Amino acid sequence: MSAITLTIDGQTVEALPGQSVLAAARTLGLDIPTLCHLEKCGPLTTCLVCLVRINGRLVPSCGTKVEPGMVVESETELVHAARRTALELLFSDHVGDCLSPCNLLCPLLLNIPVMIRQIEAGRNMEAIATVRQALPLPAVLGRLCHHPCEKGCRRGAHDDAAAIREMERFAADEDFRAPTRHRPPAKPATGKTVAIVGAGPTGLAASYFLAREGHTVRVFDRHEKPGGTLHRSVAEKHLPNEVLEAEVGWLEEFGVHFTGSTELGRDITLARLTSSHDAVVLAVGETAMNEAETLQVPVASTGIAADPNTCRTTLPAVFAAGAAVKPVKQLVRAMSEGRMVAECVSQFLDGRTVRRPDKPFSNIMGRLDAGELLTFVRTASPAARVSPCDACAAGLSRQAAAGEASRCLHCDCRSSGDCTLQHYARVYAVDANRFRSKRRTFEQQLQPGGVIFEPGKCILCGICVKLTETAREPLGLTFIGRGFNVRIGTPLNGTIEDGLQKVAAEVVHHCPTGALCFAAPDQEK
Amino acid sequence: MAAFDFHFTEQAVAKVGRQPHALIPILQQLQDRYGYLPPEALDHLCRITDIRPADVTGVSSFYDMFRHTPAGKHRVRVCRGTACHVSGAERIEDALRLHLHIPAGTDTDAERQFTVEPVACVGCCTLAPVVQIDRTTLGHTTPEKVPDLLRDFLAQGNGGTESTEEATPPGPRDRPTIHVGLGSCCMSKGSDHLFHALQASAAESGARVNIKRVGCVGMCHRTPMIELVAPGGTGRFYAGLKADQAGALLDAHFRPRGLWPRAARGFNRMLDRLLDDAPPPHEQIDRFAMERHEPGVEAFLGKQVHIATESYGRLDPLDLDEYERHDGFAALRRTLAEAKPEETITTIERSGLRGRGGAGFPTGQKWRVVRQQAAAEKYVIANGDEGDPGAFMDRMILESFPFRVVEGLAIAAVAVGAHEGIFYIRHEYPLAVRRIRAAIASLEKRGWLGPRLLGTDYPLKFSVMEGAGAFICGEETALMASLEGHRGMPRLRPPFPAESGLWGRPTLINNVETLAMVPWIIRCGWERFAAIGTEKSKGTKVFALAGHVRRGGLIEIPMGTTIREIVEGMGGGAPDGRRFKAVQIGGPSGGCVPARLADTPVDFESLRGIGAIMGSGGLVVLDDSTCMVDMARYFLQFTQSQSCGKCTFCRVGTRRMLDILDRLCTGGAQRHDLHELERLAHQVGAGSLCGLGKTAPNPVLTTLRYFKDEYEAHLQGRCPAKRCTALIKYQVNERCTGCTLCAQHCPVDAIPMVPYERHHIDTERCTRCDSCRQVCPHGAVEVA
Repeated sequence: MSAITLTIDGQTVEALPGQSVLAAARTLGLDIPTLCHLEKCGPLTTCLVCLVRINGRLVPSCGTKVEPGMVVESETELVHAARRTALELLFSDHVGDCLSPCNLLCPLLLNIPVMIRQIEAGRNMEAIATVRQALPLPAVLGRLCHHPCEKGCRRGAHDDAAAIREMERFAADEDFRAPTRHRPPAKPATGKTVAIVGAGPTGLAASYFLAREGHTVRVFDRHEKPGGTLHRSVAEKHLPNEVLEAEVGWLEEFGVHFTGSTELGRDITLARLTSSHDAVVLAVGETAMNEAETLQVPVASTGIAADPNTCRTTLPAVFAAGAAVKPVKQLVRAMSEGRMVAECVSQFLDGRTVRRPDKPFSNIMGRLDAGELLTFVRTASPAARVSPCDACAAGLSRQAAAGEASRCLHCDCRSSGDCTLQHYARVYAVDANRFRSKRRTFEQQLQPGGVIFEPGKCILCGICVKLTETAREPLGLTFIGRGFNVRIGTPLNGTIEDGLQKVAAEVVHHCPTGALCFAAPDQEK
Repeated sequence: MAAFDFHFTEQAVAKVGRQPHALIPILQQLQDRYGYLPPEALDHLCRITDIRPADVTGVSSFYDMFRHTPAGKHRVRVCRGTACHVSGAERIEDALRLHLHIPAGTDTDAERQFTVEPVACVGCCTLAPVVQIDRTTLGHTTPEKVPDLLRDFLAQGNGGTESTEEATPPGPRDRPTIHVGLGSCCMSKGSDHLFHALQASAAESGARVNIKRVGCVGMCHRTPMIELVAPGGTGRFYAGLKADQAGALLDAHFRPRGLWPRAARGFNRMLDRLLDDAPPPHEQIDRFAMERHEPGVEAFLGKQVHIATESYGRLDPLDLDEYERHDGFAALRRTLAEAKPEETITTIERSGLRGRGGAGFPTGQKWRVVRQQAAAEKYVIANGDEGDPGAFMDRMILESFPFRVVEGLAIAAVAVGAHEGIFYIRHEYPLAVRRIRAAIASLEKRGWLGPRLLGTDYPLKFSVMEGAGAFICGEETALMASLEGHRGMPRLRPPFPAESGLWGRPTLINNVETLAMVPWIIRCGWERFAAIGTEKSKGTKVFALAGHVRRGGLIEIPMGTTIREIVEGMGGGAPDGRRFKAVQIGGPSGGCVPARLADTPVDFESLRGIGAIMGSGGLVVLDDSTCMVDMARYFLQFTQSQSCGKCTFCRVGTRRMLDILDRLCTGGAQRHDLHELERLAHQVGAGSLCGLGKTAPNPVLTTLRYFKDEYEAHLQGRCPAKRCTALIKYQVNERCTGCTLCAQHCPVDAIPMVPYERHHIDTERCTRCDSCRQVCPHGAVEVA
């Protein structure tokens, strides 16, 4: 067969007769989004997020065959707007949270449900890995955090929220009790150096995240020991000294250099720091106002003047964060400011555009009605919340931690992170709430140990219908109903498992959303 | 529980086969037998056929006609067509539900007597609002009449329509003939009863007159129509006669034969005069008479040019000999005699005929593509799945001229080289299905269809497939999916059906009206056809004129006639002193054209230019009592409920547009909703996979374009036409005399009865059913 030549966004590409425009575009490296596309199923043309424009008409690229001389527009504003609308329409009828409310409410975005399931399964070392992925100083946060996560916990609407902070502390303490401590993977050394002024919560958090990025980090503080307000304003009974010291020690082991008793403006100048480092972070806390003037850093009414979107001051390569910029009340917020500035500094050092990271994309289901809540509750332990931990200075036992973990409702999506819909929502900066409407009821069909089907998350791509048809499943799955009310289901009132006797694994694997999942995946994705 | 009797299921399968494509016909038999699809029968069906369970569940849940739960003893179908909607169909449904105490979310009363369900459109638009109870069609209903309507139905039993399908031997041709219109519209106004009464009276009196079944006359606003035709050909219409006036009509025109009948008649007349003071027969019936040259009749009929409806109102739909006498099958004979089938195609191409189903694709070009395909097997399909609410041209053509459509399809088959043809007709048109089946059967009986078409060696087989209630099946790829026994889901084109259609074979699909024009073009020559119409839109178009118009019905007019000529000239404008505000053309794919653009000629290009489309030919006139936002919402509700649900833009996009329109009509919309509506409308139109989704935004976009002020008013919580129930309230003014009629008729007791005092309406309780305003003799109930 002789090849066909066509152009896509002005680039010439060769394709074989019978090939789709989508396939041709992919040879050019264009990432045309698809949800219903699976090579072996042929073009299903249901999701229509793979639209391209040919001769002024929008057509699905998966089902359109190449023709000689075809002129295709793909990465244009008009085409992107149409794809984005398709995604936004799908989200308007997509019932489920990608990320759990606790996760979204955590300023440091700790993946709490995953941590909890690891604790429940006794995989405590995995739990600390999850915790350290998001939290600097977890043993400190596990004791002092004001846990906004627990306010959002869906279990709270039923009886009491899961004791998330206690579990976090349990994981951190387990780590310190273990013979070797967990060391999160860090990127290879970049050779770049960053000076952080101030070893309080913001500075310490920034130092952790910057060290993880492979940068050399030096932290200067006017006090002898690192810790800032943690030392001076927190009572020993809430935060024993050895816990803080252990966490600081852990950071030093991780590669952060501390220099105590060094005050900016007295012992060291900003000019010197900037000349000897690639970037400087000012995390000097609330005392900043008068210092700032002596440092000749521009100030605003609340502290050092820094662009809220980039954490940058007007001085080159100098960033500022935390209470130095504006008052921060909570510990976890101060630390999340540290994470933000670390992210901005890393972008700067990499030569990328500096921009404070957005909240991660998540579809949000909002309030549950009583029936929906029960759908979640029926899968969790009915036990009451562990008693308040004032009495138990030692923290949760392994048994108590696992028991508390089993109270979690697993209200996050099992496919989050492995979901094509979510992926393209991020790529296309989708507004999941563009179309306000009354949402469907959340439903979950569940067979113990088997496949979980959450019809509200289904986008009716038809892949499962096609796969079961091809595999000659005795029942298979089918579209039921018409129009907006179409749902996927098993024929003749069968269960999902009845419909998936042969190809359950394949079908679950290819489901582009979290509509079909295994109830107990071996590993968290 | 008693064991389920599988015998019927097995019989049903035996009748239509066990292959996957037999699924819909099997389900239709089960539905007819049980009133729903019993799960036991479906299980059994899977065991005894090659049909997959996934198809059984998928298909049976796709089409409207199938139920999965038992229905009540009688089915009450409330027509939701456009004309019915603007005449208050929703109020009728509310009244039915209220009267039968049917709770929200269900459709059947506690005694399981009646199941009330909306139906897309029964195609009796000139009788709007229409309710069907089982086989009885009732027109011009009001919420007021609902209790009586149900009581009368129960009292009179289920004998709604009388069969008029049995062959009636034609009488001697030298006698005068009474033509009785026996189309669906006429029958729902009792022409079937009149037909039988006239036959009985004629037989009794021995009058020398033929009573003849004929097709539609088109003047549906005056049904039931009969025409008295002298052998010479001059005629006189009678409109609106009842069955019990049959005797009077015959008495007035014909002398009974024989001494005894004459004496009996004389005696009866004398008795009548003595006992009831009855006027003589002439006086009784003269007020029903209508001459062809009357201004109203002349205006309605005079401008018409009959091609698809040639010999309208004169032909017995099922009299093959008569059809032949009127040059029937001459065109097919000529086609068969052509040395090359291409000649026929060239004739059609030159005539400029374009598809009458909506899109206006050149018919000859379509035929040529199918002709050029090398495949040995090809199919031709007559698309009679006329689903547009407000359109009933195809129904009328199928009912009145079945042989003409059969001939048209046969010509198409010969021209493209197909040996199998299928009529796909929606099941809501039972009479059309019966007549096409009867026409095919009589041709087969004569040996003119089957192995030897018209006695030649060209084999041609025709069959009929009844739709199962899905508007989308009018889309050709969905129609073919339905024929193959699947859910009616369209697929991406190309490949076009002409290349790869039914069973992957080249397939020609033409609309019924298109096919009905083909014999005329071949017989009379393409030049004559091309001489009618405009430069790019040749010939005539049949329209269903309904809604707020004095004279509604079926009209066939030259392309290029202006909207004003149709609405004001032929239709006589809006009735009851109302103002003609807009006309809805093209149904849910079309648009609302404002009266100020009424001088637009009706042709494909001009209509597209103003945002509407020709569509299949529904033309619903709207007067100033119509809310245009409500109109847009109505059509979107329709397309939304008829979307197959396959592609994102149509399935979810139309729903989100409807959400916004719902908010507008209930006062909950904000300004950004209006921008979003327009933006989304454009994206749904551009992004949808098939024609349904691509055109669904048209009613919204045209109303936004021409009636923006009404949208603005709704944003402020006002409905200028006072239609949107959430934005209006009923109140009693000082003209009230305290007659208590309103209180008596209020179905929800929202008006306390206070004789001789000014009444008051409890707005909280009031359901805005309009009953009080309709019954008030003093105009004291007003809408604010």
